[in-house]
Amino acid sequence: MNYFLFVVKAAIEDFRRNKTQTFLTSLGILIGVFAVVMLTALGLGLKQYINDQFAALGKNTIFLVPGKILSGGSFNATSALASIKFDNRDLLRLKRLKEIREISPIFSKQTTAKSEKKSEDTTIIFSSEAFFDINGFKIKKGRFFEKADIDKKAKVVVIGPKLAEKLFGSVEAALDSKVSANNINFIVIGITESKGGGGFGGPDYDNYMFSPYTTGFIFNTAKTYSRFAIKFDENYSIMDVKETIKKEFLKRYDEDSFSIIEPGDILSAVNSIFGILNMVLVAIASISLVVGGIGIMNIMFVTVSDKTKEIGVRRAIGARKKDILVQFIIESTILSILGGFLGLTLAYIGTLIVQKFFPAYIDVSSVVLALGVSSAIGIIFGVFPAKRAADLEPVEAIRYE
Amino acid sequence: MIKFKNVWKIYKLDGEIEYQALKNINLEIKEKEFVSIIGPSGSGKSTLMHLIGLLDKPTKGEILIDGKNVAKFSDDELSTLRNEFVGFVFQQFNLIPKLTVLENILLPTIYARKKLTYDPRKKALDLIKKFGLSGKEYSYPNKISGGQQQRVAILRALIMEPKLILADEPTGNLDSKTGIEIMNLLKKLNEKEGITIVVVTHEADIAAYGKRIIKIKDGEIVRN
Repeated sequence: MNYFLFVVKAAIEDFRRNKTQTFLTSLGILIGVFAVVMLTALGLGLKQYINDQFAALGKNTIFLVPGKILSGGSFNATSALASIKFDNRDLLRLKRLKEIREISPIFSKQTTAKSEKKSEDTTIIFSSEAFFDINGFKIKKGRFFEKADIDKKAKVVVIGPKLAEKLFGSVEAALDSKVSANNINFIVIGITESKGGGGFGGPDYDNYMFSPYTTGFIFNTAKTYSRFAIKFDENYSIMDVKETIKKEFLKRYDEDSFSIIEPGDILSAVNSIFGILNMVLVAIASISLVVGGIGIMNIMFVTVSDKTKEIGVRRAIGARKKDILVQFIIESTILSILGGFLGLTLAYIGTLIVQKFFPAYIDVSSVVLALGVSSAIGIIFGVFPAKRAADLEPVEAIRYE
Repeated sequence: MIKFKNVWKIYKLDGEIEYQALKNINLEIKEKEFVSIIGPSGSGKSTLMHLIGLLDKPTKGEILIDGKNVAKFSDDELSTLRNEFVGFVFQQFNLIPKLTVLENILLPTIYARKKLTYDPRKKALDLIKKFGLSGKEYSYPNKISGGQQQRVAILRALIMEPKLILADEPTGNLDSKTGIEIMNLLKKLNEKEGITIVVVTHEADIAAYGKRIIKIKDGEIVRN
């Protein structure tokens, strides 16, 4: 019979007889693999989700924001805070540029929206009709606000589907109803399709309200904007458009006061932030793998001392040191892989459950990694106990009672 | 086949006090002999057996196997010799509990480095049949009687077709009737198969099966 199979069979028979001990020993690896795979799955899901969100932004879109937010693809939080605000002069400046087709000036306000029955904390985004197109919104019921609403400073809102349900019970009931914010009454003229989001996945647009920016000046007497979303003519390259806007704005501001961002920039910045966050979490979770490995090493030392007599017998009938070494390394590796496999199974179940609320994916590389890492742990942490077993003097081992 | 020349085995207790387990042993075991080594506990007979079985090395003196000095062998070479040349039978049978009867008998063959001239599994099954263990092939050791376990141990010792079987108190854990059966079996192996048998015991009636009796006391051979 093949030596390897013989040893594996014996090890499995051993584990079968000590189910509880085997399970508890591999529990550390189980938890470690579960945590690592699960976090990786969540990280992947999140990344996918963010990418999908940006894909919805459409082509030929750039953003103009105050401050130097992005430098070299990473996020610069300090300059995002201390910065200028845009105003109507900037808006006019942009409107004059031939490269630009649509501009959506944006500012927002935290508020409490009240229907006749209920009130909900929400955010109103004040913008132009271009906002919906640029951000890839779709209407579910009613309509978006239009240029005419902007010119009239109409007190109308488009609201997200979740907020509609919270305030009015249903999307249908929300349409044409009244909603007030800071004692100003608005008419709900439309409800958007769900965009998902919230939590880590970007703005929770499903719980937002959207209103013409001219109307929003009631709350914003200085008439300033926190950013511009711009759709440019596709006949111009993104580089040219950025250059033109930059030149125009440098007439008024210095270079560090504003940033022109393409969705790709934001995407890579967000991806790098979440990439780092995910790596940190996975690194922390990996500690439990090491702890699990130490647990296996501990039990293997106990096993070696329990099996001293057996080792003596095996040596007496012809096992070399090498054979004993391999036997114990195989045992610890099986233990570890067993834990890895159970952890993976649990992570798979966990992912199925999480997918109901949040995107999460287990990819092939994390499966390979989980099983690879757990077998590596079995081998690494098995070596010391196995070495001790192999180095036992045959005569000492056989005398051992 | 085996020759001891002025062999001493000295243990150091607590680093300082010396304990002489074997003192100046000279003996020879020839091929196809049936030798009993008898002595009370603490006489050094177990130490002697471990030396014959190549599990241990002498402190002083030489042990020659077919004329070759054991001290010159590497650990791997000694393992190979134990595998091919010696078959062990122990007082507590020392079967591996998680292996079946068949697997226990086959165990030495998985450590074999030489190419076997026979199919080990077939040979093991033949032996099982020949030694009246049919039906127990796939039983685990704790499910069979002591006498059966010792027979399994003897088959494990036989599977590699060794020249020497070394039995350490083979009847010590058996009732007298079963003990006699086991001793007759060893006797038959010696007479029919020509296998050299060395039995270590403290019981005179067990030692009496030997054609030569070596008496050992306080680490010295007192009668040969």
